[in-house]
Amino acid sequence: MSDQGIKSRPKYAPLELDPAGRHHLLLVEGPALPAEALAEGFEPTAFETWTVVNRSALLPVSVVDTQGESVRPFRANGHLFSALEERLARETMGLRLYAIGSEPFLWDVFRIADKAGMSRQEIRLAHAGSKARRVFCVHCRTYGEGVTTSIFTCGGCGANLFVRDHFSRRHAAFMGVQVDAEVPGAVPDAEELYA
Amino acid sequence: MIASGPIPVRIHEIEQLSPTLKRFAFAPLHGGPLPTPSAGAHVLVTLRHEGRVMKNAYSLVSPPESRARYEIIVRHVAQSRGGSRFLHQSVARGDVIEIGVPGNLFPLAAKARKHLLIAGGIGITPLLSYVPALKARGARFELHQLCTADEAPVFEKLLAPHAAGEDIFIHGNGRAAFDLAGILARQPLGTHVYTCGPRALMDAVITSAVALGWPSGKIHRESFGDASGGLPFKAVLAKSGIEIQVADNQTLLEALEAQGIAAPCLCRGGACGECKLDVLDGEVEHRDDFLSAEEKASQKFMMPCVSRARTAQVVLDF
Repeated sequence: MSDQGIKSRPKYAPLELDPAGRHHLLLVEGPALPAEALAEGFEPTAFETWTVVNRSALLPVSVVDTQGESVRPFRANGHLFSALEERLARETMGLRLYAIGSEPFLWDVFRIADKAGMSRQEIRLAHAGSKARRVFCVHCRTYGEGVTTSIFTCGGCGANLFVRDHFSRRHAAFMGVQVDAEVPGAVPDAEELYA
Repeated sequence: MIASGPIPVRIHEIEQLSPTLKRFAFAPLHGGPLPTPSAGAHVLVTLRHEGRVMKNAYSLVSPPESRARYEIIVRHVAQSRGGSRFLHQSVARGDVIEIGVPGNLFPLAAKARKHLLIAGGIGITPLLSYVPALKARGARFELHQLCTADEAPVFEKLLAPHAAGEDIFIHGNGRAAFDLAGILARQPLGTHVYTCGPRALMDAVITSAVALGWPSGKIHRESFGDASGGLPFKAVLAKSGIEIQVADNQTLLEALEAQGIAAPCLCRGGACGECKLDVLDGEVEHRDDFLSAEEKASQKFMMPCVSRARTAQVVLDF
Protein backbone atom coordinates (compact mmCIF):
# COMPACT_ATOMS: atom_id res chain seq x y z
CA MET A 1 0.00 0.00 0.00
CA SER A 2 2.99 2.30 0.42
CA ASP A 3 3.65 2.41 -3.34
CA GLN A 4 0.40 3.48 -4.89
CA GLY A 5 1.88 3.90 -8.37
CA ILE A 6 1.48 7.67 -8.34
CA LYS A 7 4.42 9.17 -10.18
CA SER A 8 3.65 12.87 -9.77
CA ARG A 9 4.97 13.14 -6.23
CA PRO A 10 7.68 15.75 -5.80
CA LYS A 11 11.20 14.40 -5.74
CA TYR A 12 13.91 15.99 -3.64
CA ALA A 13 17.68 16.09 -3.80
CA PRO A 14 20.33 17.43 -1.43
CA LEU A 15 20.66 21.19 -1.80
CA GLU A 16 23.19 22.61 -4.18
CA LEU A 17 24.04 26.27 -4.48
CA ASP A 18 22.66 27.95 -7.60
CA PRO A 19 25.62 30.07 -8.68
CA ALA A 20 23.39 32.11 -11.00
CA GLY A 21 21.71 33.76 -8.01
CA ARG A 22 22.75 37.21 -6.84
CA HIS A 23 21.60 36.71 -3.24
CA HIS A 24 20.50 33.65 -1.34
CA LEU A 25 18.24 32.86 1.60
CA LEU A 26 18.15 29.47 3.34
CA LEU A 27 15.17 28.41 5.46
CA VAL A 28 15.51 25.46 7.84
CA GLU A 29 12.64 23.82 9.70
CA GLY A 30 14.63 23.03 12.80
CA PRO A 31 17.33 24.54 14.97
CA ALA A 32 20.27 23.09 13.02
CA LEU A 33 21.20 22.08 9.50
CA PRO A 34 20.69 18.39 8.73
CA ALA A 35 23.87 17.32 6.93
CA GLU A 36 22.04 14.81 4.73
CA ALA A 37 20.04 17.61 3.09
CA LEU A 38 23.15 19.35 1.79
CA ALA A 39 25.12 18.35 -1.27
CA GLU A 40 28.87 18.15 -0.99
CA GLY A 41 30.44 21.55 -1.26
CA PHE A 42 27.30 23.40 -0.18
CA GLU A 43 28.49 26.04 2.28
CA PRO A 44 25.40 27.37 4.08
CA THR A 45 27.48 29.67 6.26
CA ALA A 46 28.11 31.65 3.10
CA PHE A 47 24.63 33.17 3.23
CA GLU A 48 21.72 34.22 5.34
CA THR A 49 19.93 31.43 7.18
CA TRP A 50 16.60 31.38 8.97
CA THR A 51 15.84 28.56 11.39
CA VAL A 52 12.82 27.38 13.36
CA VAL A 53 13.69 26.44 16.93
CA ASN A 54 10.19 25.69 18.28
CA ARG A 55 10.94 27.29 21.61
CA SER A 56 9.12 30.05 23.42
CA ALA A 57 12.22 31.36 25.13
CA LEU A 58 13.02 34.92 24.13
CA LEU A 59 15.46 34.82 21.27
CA PRO A 60 17.91 37.40 20.09
CA VAL A 61 16.86 39.00 16.78
CA SER A 62 19.85 37.61 15.03
CA VAL A 63 22.77 35.47 15.92
CA VAL A 64 25.97 36.11 14.07
CA ASP A 65 27.89 32.96 13.44
CA THR A 66 31.60 32.55 13.10
CA GLN A 67 31.54 33.27 9.37
CA GLY A 68 29.97 36.65 9.94
CA GLU A 69 26.71 35.78 8.24
CA SER A 70 23.50 36.01 10.20
CA VAL A 71 21.42 33.14 11.46
CA ARG A 72 17.95 34.28 12.44
CA PRO A 73 15.96 31.92 14.66
CA PHE A 74 12.16 31.87 14.72
CA ARG A 75 9.88 30.51 17.41
CA ALA A 76 7.73 28.47 15.01
CA ASN A 77 6.94 27.87 11.35
CA GLY A 78 4.16 30.47 11.27
CA HIS A 79 6.52 33.05 12.72
CA LEU A 80 9.02 32.38 9.91
CA PHE A 81 6.33 32.35 7.21
CA SER A 82 5.00 35.80 8.07
CA ALA A 83 8.53 37.22 8.13
CA LEU A 84 9.17 35.54 4.77
CA GLU A 85 6.11 37.18 3.21
CA GLU A 86 7.29 40.59 4.34
CA ARG A 87 10.83 39.92 3.20
CA LEU A 88 9.86 38.71 -0.30
CA ALA A 89 7.63 41.74 -0.81
CA ARG A 90 10.76 43.90 -0.51
CA GLU A 91 13.14 41.67 -2.48
CA THR A 92 14.53 42.37 -5.94
CA MET A 93 15.19 39.98 -8.81
CA GLY A 94 18.19 37.72 -8.38
CA LEU A 95 17.14 36.01 -5.14
CA ARG A 96 17.39 32.25 -4.73
CA LEU A 97 15.40 30.60 -2.00
CA TYR A 98 16.38 27.29 -0.39
CA ALA A 99 14.30 25.34 2.11
CA ILE A 100 15.03 22.24 4.20
CA GLY A 101 12.37 20.46 6.21
CA SER A 102 9.24 18.34 6.14
CA GLU A 103 7.04 18.31 3.06
CA PRO A 104 4.35 20.58 4.55
CA PHE A 105 7.04 23.11 5.48
CA LEU A 106 8.68 22.98 2.03
CA TRP A 107 5.46 23.51 0.16
CA ASP A 108 4.19 26.19 2.51
CA VAL A 109 7.43 28.01 1.69
CA PHE A 110 6.87 27.31 -2.01
CA ARG A 111 3.35 28.70 -1.87
CA ILE A 112 4.52 31.93 -0.23
CA ALA A 113 7.33 32.28 -2.77
CA ASP A 114 4.99 31.54 -5.68
CA LYS A 115 2.61 34.21 -4.45
CA ALA A 116 5.54 36.64 -4.39
CA GLY A 117 6.22 35.83 -8.06
CA MET A 118 9.08 33.36 -7.70
CA SER A 119 9.30 30.45 -10.15
CA ARG A 120 10.58 26.90 -9.83
CA GLN A 121 13.90 28.05 -11.27
CA GLU A 122 14.44 30.26 -8.22
CA ILE A 123 13.48 27.82 -5.45
CA ARG A 124 15.25 24.67 -4.26
CA LEU A 125 13.69 22.30 -1.76
CA ALA A 126 15.26 19.45 0.22
CA HIS A 127 13.24 17.05 2.33
CA ALA A 128 14.61 16.27 5.79
CA GLY A 129 13.24 14.98 9.04
CA SER A 130 9.77 13.56 9.57
CA LYS A 131 7.81 11.91 6.76
CA ALA A 132 4.55 12.70 8.55
CA ARG A 133 1.95 14.02 6.13
CA ARG A 134 -0.45 16.87 6.01
CA VAL A 135 -3.69 15.42 4.64
CA PHE A 136 -6.44 17.34 2.91
CA CYS A 137 -9.91 15.87 3.27
CA VAL A 138 -11.36 16.08 -0.25
CA HIS A 139 -14.87 15.91 1.22
CA CYS A 140 -14.89 18.66 3.84
CA ARG A 141 -11.60 20.47 2.99
CA THR A 142 -10.15 20.18 6.46
CA TYR A 143 -6.42 19.68 6.84
CA GLY A 144 -5.04 17.05 9.17
CA GLU A 145 -1.46 17.52 10.37
CA GLY A 146 1.23 15.02 11.28
CA VAL A 147 -0.50 11.97 9.83
CA THR A 148 1.72 8.87 9.99
CA THR A 149 -0.83 6.16 9.19
CA SER A 150 -2.44 4.81 6.01
CA ILE A 151 -5.94 5.56 7.37
CA PHE A 152 -6.88 8.38 9.68
CA THR A 153 -10.01 10.06 10.95
CA CYS A 154 -10.74 13.50 9.56
CA GLY A 155 -10.87 16.13 12.27
CA GLY A 156 -13.46 18.07 10.30
CA CYS A 157 -16.15 15.57 9.25
CA GLY A 158 -15.09 12.42 11.04
CA ALA A 159 -14.69 10.44 7.80
CA ASN A 160 -12.25 7.55 7.74
CA LEU A 161 -9.76 8.79 5.14
CA PHE A 162 -7.37 6.73 3.07
CA VAL A 163 -4.16 8.76 2.65
CA ARG A 164 -3.31 8.76 -1.04
CA ASP A 165 0.15 9.40 -2.49
CA HIS A 166 -1.47 12.12 -4.56
CA PHE A 167 0.31 15.26 -3.38
CA SER A 168 -1.10 18.71 -4.11
CA ARG A 169 1.59 21.36 -4.38
CA ARG A 170 -1.09 24.01 -4.08
CA HIS A 171 -2.44 22.65 -0.81
CA ALA A 172 0.99 21.43 0.34
CA ALA A 173 -0.90 18.29 1.35
CA PHE A 174 -1.72 14.72 0.42
CA MET A 175 -5.27 13.91 -0.59
CA GLY A 176 -7.44 11.94 1.83
CA VAL A 177 -10.53 10.14 0.50
CA GLN A 178 -13.22 8.29 2.43
CA VAL A 179 -12.19 4.64 2.58
CA ASP A 180 -15.62 3.20 3.52
CA ALA A 181 -17.81 5.17 1.14
CA GLU A 182 -19.33 2.07 -0.46
CA VAL A 183 -19.62 -0.14 2.62
CA PRO A 184 -19.95 2.18 5.63
CA GLY A 185 -17.95 0.89 8.55
CA ALA A 186 -15.70 -1.39 6.45
CA VAL A 187 -12.49 0.34 7.48
CA PRO A 188 -9.18 -1.51 7.04
CA ASP A 189 -6.67 -1.42 9.88
CA ALA A 190 -4.46 1.63 9.82
CA GLU A 191 -0.81 0.90 9.09
CA GLU A 192 1.99 3.05 10.43
CA LEU A 193 3.74 4.16 7.22
CA TYR A 194 4.87 7.76 7.42
CA ALA A 195 6.83 8.09 10.64
CA MET B 1 -13.21 26.02 -34.79
CA ILE B 2 -9.54 26.70 -35.20
CA ALA B 3 -9.01 29.43 -37.76
CA SER B 4 -6.56 28.78 -40.56
CA GLY B 5 -5.18 31.04 -43.21
CA PRO B 6 -4.69 32.73 -45.49
CA ILE B 7 -6.99 35.68 -44.91
CA PRO B 8 -7.51 38.17 -47.77
CA VAL B 9 -7.49 41.74 -46.46
CA ARG B 10 -7.81 45.16 -48.00
CA ILE B 11 -5.34 47.93 -47.22
CA HIS B 12 -7.68 50.22 -45.37
CA GLU B 13 -5.30 53.00 -44.47
CA ILE B 14 -1.63 53.91 -44.84
CA GLU B 15 -0.08 56.50 -42.55
CA GLN B 16 3.42 57.87 -42.98
CA LEU B 17 4.76 58.12 -39.41
CA SER B 18 8.28 59.22 -40.30
CA PRO B 19 10.45 59.22 -43.43
CA THR B 20 11.06 55.47 -42.99
CA LEU B 21 8.03 54.30 -40.99
CA LYS B 22 4.56 53.56 -42.29
CA ARG B 23 1.54 52.23 -40.49
CA PHE B 24 -0.75 49.94 -42.50
CA ALA B 25 -4.29 49.09 -41.44
CA PHE B 26 -5.88 45.93 -42.86
CA ALA B 27 -9.62 45.29 -42.99
CA PRO B 28 -11.09 41.86 -43.82
CA LEU B 29 -12.00 41.68 -47.53
CA HIS B 30 -15.12 39.59 -46.95
CA GLY B 31 -16.34 41.36 -43.81
CA GLY B 32 -16.79 39.76 -40.43
CA PRO B 33 -14.34 39.98 -37.59
CA LEU B 34 -10.70 38.95 -37.94
CA PRO B 35 -9.40 36.22 -35.59
CA THR B 36 -8.67 37.39 -32.05
CA PRO B 37 -4.95 37.94 -31.65
CA SER B 38 -3.25 37.84 -28.25
CA ALA B 39 -0.97 40.61 -27.04
CA GLY B 40 2.42 40.27 -28.73
CA ALA B 41 1.03 38.41 -31.76
CA HIS B 42 2.34 38.70 -35.31
CA VAL B 43 0.96 37.94 -38.75
CA LEU B 44 2.73 36.68 -41.84
CA VAL B 45 2.08 39.05 -44.71
CA THR B 46 2.36 37.53 -48.18
CA LEU B 47 4.17 39.87 -50.55
CA ARG B 48 4.21 39.14 -54.26
CA HIS B 49 6.74 41.22 -56.07
CA GLU B 50 8.57 40.77 -59.37
CA GLY B 51 7.76 37.08 -59.55
CA ARG B 52 8.92 36.41 -56.02
CA VAL B 53 6.73 35.44 -53.08
CA MET B 54 7.83 36.51 -49.64
CA LYS B 55 6.07 35.96 -46.35
CA ASN B 56 7.27 38.45 -43.80
CA ALA B 57 6.27 38.47 -40.14
CA TYR B 58 5.08 41.73 -38.62
CA SER B 59 3.88 42.32 -35.07
CA LEU B 60 0.33 43.57 -34.73
CA VAL B 61 0.34 47.01 -33.12
CA SER B 62 -3.43 47.25 -32.82
CA PRO B 63 -4.94 46.39 -29.42
CA PRO B 64 -5.75 42.66 -29.02
CA GLU B 65 -9.50 43.34 -28.94
CA SER B 66 -9.38 45.05 -32.34
CA ARG B 67 -10.99 42.57 -34.73
CA ALA B 68 -12.37 44.95 -37.33
CA ARG B 69 -8.86 45.85 -38.41
CA TYR B 70 -5.27 44.88 -37.80
CA GLU B 71 -2.42 47.35 -37.88
CA ILE B 72 1.28 46.86 -38.50
CA ILE B 73 4.17 49.33 -38.65
CA VAL B 74 6.91 48.72 -41.20
CA ARG B 75 10.34 50.32 -41.37
CA HIS B 76 11.71 50.83 -44.89
CA VAL B 77 15.14 49.23 -44.74
CA ALA B 78 17.44 50.09 -47.62
CA GLN B 79 19.41 46.81 -47.52
CA SER B 80 16.33 44.63 -46.99
CA ARG B 81 15.49 41.76 -49.31
CA GLY B 82 12.65 43.76 -50.74
CA GLY B 83 9.74 43.14 -48.37
CA SER B 84 9.75 46.51 -46.67
CA ARG B 85 10.56 48.33 -49.92
CA PHE B 86 7.61 46.63 -51.59
CA LEU B 87 5.26 47.59 -48.76
CA HIS B 88 6.56 51.16 -48.73
CA GLN B 89 6.66 51.78 -52.46
CA SER B 90 4.26 49.46 -54.23
CA VAL B 91 1.30 48.97 -51.91
CA ALA B 92 -1.53 51.48 -52.02
CA ARG B 93 -4.76 52.04 -50.16
CA GLY B 94 -7.45 49.68 -51.45
CA ASP B 95 -5.02 46.94 -52.53
CA VAL B 96 -5.81 43.37 -51.52
CA ILE B 97 -3.12 41.22 -49.93
CA GLU B 98 -3.06 38.00 -47.96
CA ILE B 99 -2.15 37.59 -44.33
CA GLY B 100 -1.96 34.51 -42.12
CA VAL B 101 -3.80 33.82 -38.90
CA PRO B 102 -2.03 35.59 -36.01
CA GLY B 103 0.62 33.58 -34.19
CA ASN B 104 2.33 34.50 -30.98
CA LEU B 105 5.88 33.62 -29.98
CA PHE B 106 6.11 36.56 -27.60
CA PRO B 107 3.17 36.25 -25.22
CA LEU B 108 2.80 37.99 -21.88
CA ALA B 109 3.60 35.83 -18.84
CA ALA B 110 0.37 35.32 -16.93
CA LYS B 111 2.03 34.96 -13.52
CA ALA B 112 4.31 37.98 -13.72
CA ARG B 113 3.95 40.43 -10.84
CA LYS B 114 5.45 43.16 -12.98
CA HIS B 115 6.34 43.48 -16.66
CA LEU B 116 9.54 45.30 -17.69
CA LEU B 117 9.45 46.17 -21.39
CA ILE B 118 12.62 47.26 -23.22
CA ALA B 119 12.47 48.09 -26.93
CA GLY B 120 14.89 49.55 -29.42
CA GLY B 121 13.66 51.48 -32.45
CA ILE B 122 10.91 49.76 -34.38
CA GLY B 123 11.16 46.87 -31.87
CA ILE B 124 8.43 48.78 -30.05
CA THR B 125 5.79 47.16 -32.29
CA PRO B 126 4.84 44.09 -30.19
CA LEU B 127 4.87 46.27 -27.06
CA LEU B 128 2.26 48.53 -28.61
CA SER B 129 -0.21 45.66 -28.29
CA TYR B 130 1.09 44.77 -24.82
CA VAL B 131 0.43 48.15 -23.25
CA PRO B 132 -3.37 48.31 -23.69
CA ALA B 133 -3.65 44.65 -22.61
CA LEU B 134 -1.59 45.31 -19.47
CA LYS B 135 -3.59 48.43 -18.66
CA ALA B 136 -6.85 46.52 -19.09
CA ARG B 137 -5.61 43.89 -16.63
CA GLY B 138 -4.45 46.52 -14.17
CA ALA B 139 -0.99 44.94 -14.40
CA ARG B 140 2.11 46.75 -13.22
CA PHE B 141 4.57 47.59 -16.00
CA GLU B 142 7.50 49.80 -16.93
CA LEU B 143 8.42 50.56 -20.54
CA HIS B 144 11.72 51.85 -21.88
CA GLN B 145 11.96 52.81 -25.54
CA LEU B 146 15.45 53.45 -26.93
CA CYS B 147 15.76 55.35 -30.17
CA THR B 148 17.65 58.07 -31.99
CA ALA B 149 17.00 61.68 -31.02
CA ASP B 150 15.26 62.49 -34.31
CA GLU B 151 12.82 59.59 -33.95
CA ALA B 152 11.96 60.25 -30.29
CA PRO B 153 8.91 62.41 -31.23
CA VAL B 154 7.58 59.59 -33.44
CA PHE B 155 7.64 57.09 -30.58
CA GLU B 156 6.34 59.66 -28.12
CA LYS B 157 3.34 60.11 -30.37
CA LEU B 158 2.79 56.36 -30.74
CA LEU B 159 2.90 55.85 -26.98
CA ALA B 160 1.04 59.04 -26.05
CA PRO B 161 -2.44 57.43 -26.00
CA HIS B 162 -1.22 55.05 -23.28
CA ALA B 163 1.28 57.22 -21.46
CA ALA B 164 -0.79 59.16 -18.93
CA GLY B 165 0.19 58.17 -15.40
CA GLU B 166 2.30 55.23 -16.58
CA ASP B 167 5.98 54.36 -16.26
CA ILE B 168 6.77 54.93 -19.93
CA PHE B 169 10.21 56.34 -20.74
CA ILE B 170 11.64 57.30 -24.11
CA HIS B 171 15.42 57.45 -24.32
CA GLY B 172 16.25 59.57 -27.34
CA ASN B 173 20.00 59.16 -26.96
CA GLY B 174 19.99 55.42 -27.49
CA ARG B 175 21.90 53.19 -25.12
CA ALA B 176 24.59 55.70 -24.16
CA ALA B 177 22.58 57.27 -21.35
CA PHE B 178 20.48 54.20 -20.57
CA ASP B 179 21.28 52.52 -17.24
CA LEU B 180 20.27 49.00 -18.26
CA ALA B 181 21.98 47.21 -15.34
CA GLY B 182 20.55 49.68 -12.83
CA ILE B 183 17.03 49.18 -14.13
CA LEU B 184 17.33 45.40 -14.11
CA ALA B 185 18.90 45.38 -10.62
CA ARG B 186 16.07 47.25 -8.95
CA GLN B 187 13.14 45.23 -10.27
CA PRO B 188 10.94 43.56 -7.65
CA LEU B 189 10.73 39.80 -7.28
CA GLY B 190 8.37 38.29 -9.81
CA THR B 191 9.23 40.68 -12.65
CA HIS B 192 9.45 39.40 -16.22
CA VAL B 193 11.54 41.29 -18.77
CA TYR B 194 10.64 41.45 -22.47
CA THR B 195 12.93 42.85 -25.12
CA CYS B 196 12.54 43.51 -28.81
CA GLY B 197 14.81 45.47 -31.08
CA PRO B 198 18.30 45.33 -32.55
CA ARG B 199 20.18 42.15 -31.75
CA ALA B 200 22.87 44.03 -29.80
CA LEU B 201 20.26 45.53 -27.48
CA MET B 202 18.47 42.21 -26.93
CA ASP B 203 21.81 40.47 -26.25
CA ALA B 204 22.72 43.21 -23.75
CA VAL B 205 19.39 42.84 -21.94
CA ILE B 206 19.76 39.06 -21.72
CA THR B 207 23.42 39.13 -20.67
CA SER B 208 22.82 41.79 -17.99
CA ALA B 209 19.72 40.06 -16.64
CA VAL B 210 21.46 36.69 -16.38
CA ALA B 211 24.45 38.32 -14.66
CA LEU B 212 22.06 39.86 -12.12
CA GLY B 213 20.52 36.49 -11.32
CA TRP B 214 17.37 36.61 -13.43
CA PRO B 215 16.20 33.07 -14.27
CA SER B 216 15.92 32.27 -17.98
CA GLY B 217 12.17 31.69 -17.63
CA LYS B 218 11.62 35.37 -16.84
CA ILE B 219 13.60 36.73 -19.78
CA HIS B 220 11.68 36.99 -23.07
CA ARG B 221 12.95 38.16 -26.43
CA GLU B 222 11.05 38.72 -29.63
CA SER B 223 12.99 37.61 -32.58
CA PHE B 224 12.33 37.72 -36.25
CA GLY B 225 15.78 36.31 -36.96
CA ASP B 226 18.02 37.67 -39.63
CA ALA B 227 16.70 36.97 -43.10
CA SER B 228 18.73 39.75 -44.67
CA GLY B 229 20.16 37.65 -47.46
CA GLY B 230 23.73 36.64 -48.27
CA LEU B 231 25.75 34.70 -50.78
CA PRO B 232 23.82 32.38 -53.11
CA PHE B 233 24.19 28.64 -52.47
CA LYS B 234 22.84 25.30 -53.58
CA ALA B 235 20.67 23.03 -51.44
CA VAL B 236 20.54 19.33 -52.27
CA LEU B 237 17.52 17.44 -50.96
CA ALA B 238 18.89 13.94 -50.33
CA LYS B 239 15.56 12.12 -50.23
CA SER B 240 14.28 13.38 -53.57
CA GLY B 241 17.56 14.26 -55.25
CA ILE B 242 16.21 17.73 -56.03
CA GLU B 243 18.79 20.50 -56.23
CA ILE B 244 17.70 24.03 -55.43
CA GLN B 245 19.50 27.27 -56.08
CA VAL B 246 19.03 29.84 -53.34
CA ALA B 247 19.47 33.40 -54.60
CA ASP B 248 21.29 36.10 -52.66
CA ASN B 249 18.07 37.87 -51.70
CA GLN B 250 16.06 34.73 -50.98
CA THR B 251 15.85 32.40 -48.01
CA LEU B 252 16.19 28.64 -48.35
CA LEU B 253 12.57 28.32 -47.20
CA GLU B 254 11.42 30.70 -49.94
CA ALA B 255 13.49 28.81 -52.51
CA LEU B 256 11.85 25.53 -51.45
CA GLU B 257 8.41 27.10 -51.70
CA ALA B 258 9.23 28.58 -55.10
CA GLN B 259 9.79 24.98 -56.28
CA GLY B 260 6.36 24.03 -54.96
CA ILE B 261 7.79 22.12 -52.00
CA ALA B 262 5.58 22.43 -48.92
CA ALA B 263 8.26 22.73 -46.26
CA PRO B 264 7.05 23.00 -42.67
CA CYS B 265 7.23 26.48 -41.21
CA LEU B 266 5.50 28.72 -38.72
CA CYS B 267 7.21 31.94 -37.64
CA ARG B 268 9.64 32.32 -40.59
CA GLY B 269 11.93 34.17 -38.24
CA GLY B 270 14.16 31.55 -36.65
CA ALA B 271 12.27 31.52 -33.39
CA CYS B 272 9.74 28.70 -33.32
CA GLY B 273 11.69 25.67 -34.53
CA GLU B 274 8.95 24.34 -36.79
CA CYS B 275 11.08 24.32 -39.97
CA LYS B 276 14.15 22.55 -38.54
CA LEU B 277 15.89 20.36 -41.14
CA ASP B 278 18.60 17.73 -40.67
CA VAL B 279 21.89 18.57 -42.38
CA LEU B 280 23.92 15.72 -43.90
CA ASP B 281 26.76 17.70 -45.43
CA GLY B 282 27.95 21.27 -45.77
CA GLU B 283 28.48 24.05 -43.29
CA VAL B 284 25.64 26.25 -42.04
CA GLU B 285 25.75 29.92 -41.12
CA HIS B 286 23.22 29.87 -38.28
CA ARG B 287 21.05 32.96 -37.92
CA ASP B 288 18.27 31.60 -35.73
CA ASP B 289 17.46 31.90 -32.03
CA PHE B 290 16.01 28.42 -31.73
CA LEU B 291 18.94 26.00 -31.84
CA SER B 292 21.18 25.79 -28.79
CA ALA B 293 24.85 26.70 -29.08
CA GLU B 294 25.69 22.97 -28.99
CA GLU B 295 23.22 22.17 -31.76
CA LYS B 296 24.61 24.97 -33.90
CA ALA B 297 28.17 23.78 -33.36
CA SER B 298 27.20 20.21 -34.28
CA GLN B 299 26.28 21.41 -37.81
CA LYS B 300 23.57 18.72 -37.87
CA PHE B 301 20.56 21.02 -38.06
CA MET B 302 19.46 24.09 -39.96
CA MET B 303 16.56 26.51 -39.82
CA PRO B 304 15.83 27.25 -43.52
CA CYS B 305 13.71 30.31 -42.78
CA VAL B 306 16.75 32.40 -41.82
CA SER B 307 19.97 30.39 -41.96
CA ARG B 308 22.17 29.98 -45.02
CA ALA B 309 24.98 27.72 -46.20
CA ARG B 310 28.51 28.93 -45.61
CA THR B 311 29.76 26.38 -48.13
CA ALA B 312 28.73 26.45 -51.79
CA GLN B 313 26.36 23.58 -51.15
CA VAL B 314 24.45 22.04 -48.28
CA VAL B 315 22.91 18.54 -48.32
CA LEU B 316 19.68 18.14 -46.38
CA ASP B 317 17.90 15.01 -45.17
CA PHE B 318 14.63 16.17 -46.69
